[in-house]
Amino acid sequence: MSINGHGGARVDRRTFLKLAAGAGLATAGGLGFESASSAAPAVSLSLWTGYPELVPFYKAVATDYAKTHPSVAVAVFSTSLREAETKLSAAVPTGTGPDIYDIGTNITVKFIDGGLLDPNPPDIVRYMKSGAWDSSVVEFFAVGGKYYGLPLQDGSRASMFYNKTMLKEAGIAAPPSTYPALIDAARKLTKFDSTGKMTRSGVSLRLSGQGSGIAEKFRFVLEPAGGSLIVKTKSGKYHNNYDNAAGRAALQFYVDAVQKYKIDDPKIPHDADAFVAETTAILFREAWVIGEIQQKNPKLDYGVVPIPRWRAGGPYKMLLQPWGIYVNGKSSNKSASWDFLKFLTSPQNAVRLTSMTGWVSERRDVDWKPLLAQTPQFAVFVSPPKGVVFYVEPVLSAWDEIETKLADRLTDAYVDPSLNNNPAKVAATIHTMAEETDSILKTAGLYGMA
Amino acid sequence: MVWPSRRQWRLTGFCYAALIPILALFAYIRGFPIAWSVILSFYQWNLVDLHKPFVGLANYIALTHDGNFLTAIVNTTVYSLASVVFSTIVSLPLALFLSGTMRLAVLYQAIYFLPVITPMVPMAIAWKWIYDYNYGILNYALSLVGIKPIPWLTSSRIALWALIIMNVWKILGYNLILFLVGIRNIPVVYLEAADLDGATSWQRFRFVTLPLLKSILLYVLVTATINSYNVFTQVYVMTLGSQSAPGNAVRVLVYDIYQNAFAYFHMGYASAEAVILTLIVIGVTLIQFGAVRGEEA
Repeated sequence: MSINGHGGARVDRRTFLKLAAGAGLATAGGLGFESASSAAPAVSLSLWTGYPELVPFYKAVATDYAKTHPSVAVAVFSTSLREAETKLSAAVPTGTGPDIYDIGTNITVKFIDGGLLDPNPPDIVRYMKSGAWDSSVVEFFAVGGKYYGLPLQDGSRASMFYNKTMLKEAGIAAPPSTYPALIDAARKLTKFDSTGKMTRSGVSLRLSGQGSGIAEKFRFVLEPAGGSLIVKTKSGKYHNNYDNAAGRAALQFYVDAVQKYKIDDPKIPHDADAFVAETTAILFREAWVIGEIQQKNPKLDYGVVPIPRWRAGGPYKMLLQPWGIYVNGKSSNKSASWDFLKFLTSPQNAVRLTSMTGWVSERRDVDWKPLLAQTPQFAVFVSPPKGVVFYVEPVLSAWDEIETKLADRLTDAYVDPSLNNNPAKVAATIHTMAEETDSILKTAGLYGMA
Repeated sequence: MVWPSRRQWRLTGFCYAALIPILALFAYIRGFPIAWSVILSFYQWNLVDLHKPFVGLANYIALTHDGNFLTAIVNTTVYSLASVVFSTIVSLPLALFLSGTMRLAVLYQAIYFLPVITPMVPMAIAWKWIYDYNYGILNYALSLVGIKPIPWLTSSRIALWALIIMNVWKILGYNLILFLVGIRNIPVVYLEAADLDGATSWQRFRFVTLPLLKSILLYVLVTATINSYNVFTQVYVMTLGSQSAPGNAVRVLVYDIYQNAFAYFHMGYASAEAVILTLIVIGVTLIQFGAVRGEEA
C-alpha cells in the first residue's frame, strides 16, 4: 500500500512507519534535551491575588527567594478582588486552586468550615507568636483555637487625608479632630459655581455605587459614635449593634452632610481620584492613596491624621482589617509554600511591601524610619498615635452579605429627601436596616441576643 | 401506511448518529446545567459548605419576602418592556425609511449596526463617561439647549432609564436589520396592488407591510425580551466604583442572582431565582406568541 496515491513521490508503508518513528524519537529526544538543558525548577508554586497592585511586590520577592532557592519558582496570577473571591471559591473546593492565595477572612472562614484549609504547622504557629505581630493581629487568624494563614498587610486602617493648601486658604489652622469640627471645616471648604453646582466637596464620603465598601465607610462614622454593625454575645452568637443612638447618629451625619450642610454630593467626583485631582479637600482612605498621589499628583501638599473622634475627649478609632496569605489545604507543595511565605513576610519584605504598594505591613518589628523620612504621610498608618482604639472586622461567613445588603440601603437613604430634618424617619430607616442584618445572621445560624 | 425501507432506516439512523456529538455537547453545556439548577433550587446549597441540606420549596418561599428580589423583578420588567417597546418603535420606521432607494442607505445601516457588534464592557464604560454628570458629553449637549445637567447615573430615579437608553441604542441596529430583511422580502406586487387601490402610505404600511412582517416582528419581540431579561454586564459595570449608579436603583434579576451565587455563595437560593427568571421569560414569550398569532387567526 502506498501512502501517496496522487502522483507524487511514492512512499511505501514500511518506509512511512520508519520515518514516523524516527520523527517521534527525534521529537522526544529534543524535548528531553530541552528539559535537561533548561534546568526547570523542581517546585513550581502558584500564587493567586485579588490585589493586582501586589503583583510587582510578589514577583520581586519571588526573584529574591529564587536566589537562595533556585529549585522553586513562583507564578503569580491576579484579578480584581471580587473575581479572586469567586475563582477561589470555585477552584479550592474542586482541588484546582493555587498553592498560595491572599484573601479576606470572609472567604477563608468558609474554607475552614469546609475543611479546605489546614491549621498552620507548629513551626508556623511559633513564627506567628514570635513577637513579630501584635497579639491582636495573631488572634485574628485563630478560629476555634487553631491558627490559619499568616498576616500579610492591613486591608483597611483608613485615616483622614486632607489637602493642606485648601485648609490654609479656608483659614483652617489644623485638620478637624472631631466630627462636629469636620462638618464646620467641610462647609468652609466646599465650593459651588455661579449656578449653585458643587465644584469641590468639603469631604468625599462614599455615597453611591454598590458593594460592601459603602458599609465599611459607614462604619468610619458609626464606630466613633459608639456603635458597630454587629456585636458578639456571651454565648458566641451575634446581633446588630446599630439600631441605637449611635446608628441613628451615624446615618444622621451622612444625611446632614449631603442634604442639610451640602458638604458632599453624589454627583461630583469622589474617592481617591477626587482627592488626587483636588476636587475634594478631605478623604477617609487607606495608605494606598499615598502611592496614587505620588504617581498622579506628586506636588499635592497633603497630610494624613486619624479619622476624627465623635466628640472632643473621646477616643480615635481605627479599623484593623488584617489581610492574610494562606497555603491551600489541597496543595501538593505545602512545605515549600510555607517556607516561601516565611520569606515573604520577613521584615525586609515588610518594608518593601509598603514602599512598593502603599499597603501597610502588619509586622510591628519593622524599622520604618527610612520610609518615613522619605514619605512622612505613612506615619499614621505604620505607627498610629497612642490612644487609638482599634476595631476589627468580624470573621464571619455572613459578613460580606451583611455589609453589601446594608450598603444598598445606605445609598438610598443618604439621598432620600424624606430623611432630611426627620429624626423619626432616620430611626425607622436604621431599624429596617438592622432587622435585615439580624435576618442574615438568623439564616446563617449566627443570631443570638444572650 | 408505507413502512420505511431498510435504506431509509439506515439513512435516518445515520442522520441521528451524526447529530449525537452536537446533541451531547448541547446537553452537557446547556441541558445539564439547567437541570442541575432546578435541582439545586431545592437545596440550601452553599458553594463551600460541606452540609447542603434539602429544603424543599423554602428558597422559593423566601424569595416572596426578599425585597431585593422583588425590586429586581420590577426593575427588570420595566427595563425589558421599555427596551423592547422603544427599540421596536424606533427601529421599524427607520427600517422603512432605509429600505427605500436613498443614497448612503448601506452606510447608515452599518452605522446603526455598529453598537450591536461592540463588546458590552467597553461600551458600558464609554456610556458611563457619556452619562457623567460633570464631564459627560450628554449633559454638555443638553447644556447647549439650556437644559441643566442631569445626574444620569447617580440619581435613583433616573439610573434605570439611563440603562434603558443605552440598551435601546445597543439593540436598535439588530432589530433594524431584521426588519429591513423582512420588508425587502415583501413581494412588490402586494404594494403595487395597494397603490392601484388608492391606498395611502399609512394604509400600505398598516394593511400590507405590517401583517407581512408579523413573523419578523414576533422574532424581534421574543429575542429582545429574552435578551433584556438577561441584562447584567452593563448593570455590573455601571454600579462599580464610587461614581456610579446606586446598587438598588438598577438591581436586575441576573445581577441579584450573581450576587447571591458568587458574592454570598447561596447557590441554591440563586438557582431558585434563576428558575423563576426562566419561567418569567417563557411566560412572556408565550404571551407574545399568542398575541401575534392570535391576530393572524
